[in-house]
Amino acid sequence: MKVNLVEKEVMDPLAESGQKNILLNDIPSPVHQISFFDNTKPGADIILNLLKTRLKQMDVIESKKPAGAAASKSQLEKAAEGDVSILALGDCGSCTTWVILDAIRLEKEGVPTLSICSHKFTPFARKLAQAHGAPNLRIVEIAHPIAGLDPEKVKEKTNFIIPEIEKILYNAD
Amino acid sequence: MSNKIPDNVDKSCGCLIEDLLTKSEDSKCTGQPENSDYNKRERIMVDPDVEKISLDFYQKKFTDGLPIIPPTRSRVNKFYQYSKGDPQEVMAILPPLQGKATREKIAVNGVMAGCLPHFMPLLEKAVMGLGDEKFNLAGVNSTTHPVAVCTIINGPVRNELEFNSKSGCLGPGNLPNATIGRAIRFCLINIAGAVPGIGDHSTMGSSSKYSYCFAENEEKSPWEPLNVERNILADSGAVTLLGMEAAHNVNDHRSQNASDLLDTIIHTAATPGCNNSHVPGELLVIMSPEHARTISDEGWEKKDVKKYIHQHAVVPVNLADRGGRKLDEIWCKENMVPITRKIDDVVIVVAGGPGRHTMLAHGFGTSCESVTLPLD
Repeated sequence: MKVNLVEKEVMDPLAESGQKNILLNDIPSPVHQISFFDNTKPGADIILNLLKTRLKQMDVIESKKPAGAAASKSQLEKAAEGDVSILALGDCGSCTTWVILDAIRLEKEGVPTLSICSHKFTPFARKLAQAHGAPNLRIVEIAHPIAGLDPEKVKEKTNFIIPEIEKILYNAD
Repeated sequence: MSNKIPDNVDKSCGCLIEDLLTKSEDSKCTGQPENSDYNKRERIMVDPDVEKISLDFYQKKFTDGLPIIPPTRSRVNKFYQYSKGDPQEVMAILPPLQGKATREKIAVNGVMAGCLPHFMPLLEKAVMGLGDEKFNLAGVNSTTHPVAVCTIINGPVRNELEFNSKSGCLGPGNLPNATIGRAIRFCLINIAGAVPGIGDHSTMGSSSKYSYCFAENEEKSPWEPLNVERNILADSGAVTLLGMEAAHNVNDHRSQNASDLLDTIIHTAATPGCNNSHVPGELLVIMSPEHARTISDEGWEKKDVKKYIHQHAVVPVNLADRGGRKLDEIWCKENMVPITRKIDDVVIVVAGGPGRHTMLAHGFGTSCESVTLPLD
């Protein structure tokens, strides 16, 4: 008798995603009101303040949210008053997570969003958005790091991304 | 060794095992009758090679870097014997990648970690706890902070499964403590997507991310155990999950009264640089039986100790407000910030063996609440 020794198969430890795709909202044209959703990470206010000076024709609603946690209902409602919401800043693991997850919450409420994440965390931000059913979530990449920098350096980095943000906001149609 | 072939070996075909292994297929046993048993093939299933599967899983980023037990169907099936319900039933959705934690996936990861099959009900319950929104697993898993999942076991299950609640309870050396903590980490890696550098962005990681599980030494505690404090019957037992840094020691051999000992504890706890200093939240205090006795002998109840630590573990605002999130003024009082928001943020358990030590673990902060679930 011939004997074939066969190794037993091993089972896959990876799980399937339990998330279904969501529809993203189009950016209206023109944008009248824009909400800035500041998670209080160092530099987030500098980025958003500089943006405010460049987007003069839009009314700005300012709202704050926790960095490593979900925005409260009232914080989210305030951010949802804008035609578009810009969230900043994802420059660490938990803050990137909650920038993206709160952006998705806003998208589900019908508010188009734009999330600013540092380039070291953008790949994770995109993977996270995909896992939560929003592979095309708008994410703008700013050079890492932001925290611990001189404000002028943060402004310099912000100036690099403003054209991309303007393009998204003004060329929406 | 004798070359003589034992009498109980079938020598009818004239082949020895050495022949089968060394000769080519064509040269083996030529001339055997067609109806000979030799031409029949029998498949014999053997367990996979541990080193091979460990390396394969490691390269796929399924492990913590240490060897694993290959999760064969037969091993996983043994875990189902201690579970109720459909293996495909989703027990929790685990962020950040929203993985479906089915019984099957929990069992597979439990096998890999070296759990014994009868740990399965506890493992399921722990994973269910991780899915509770108030735990903020999305943040805990993905943060640059070195927060890990700390699992505390209470009730009769401690002794039934032979957890260590005494000397060395934080490791190493005990199978349930080590493997259940490790299995939880595997569930985070493989179900939630907390792969270091990909879904887990801890700047340096932590040794507590290998395993972080122990039982409370209820027999040596002068106070009610954690599960009872959280309104779970002592008889049913419980599993508690906390988002905590690795524990940090408080060595106090000299204090002879509660006040002195607690001062050592609060001065060790009240440090800038922990998340609690700018986003106040839970603080885990693992007190040795000897320390607990020094305090309780003066009539202090557990709630008194919690209150004292809450009120006195404070950090100057100028040092506290250097974290990732801006310190919210609502926490500040007289230019100081308490590292806990409320008395119950001080989570006290008694554990360990002889010795005058307490261990402290700072938490992830305001956004992460511990979860306690009763065991069936």
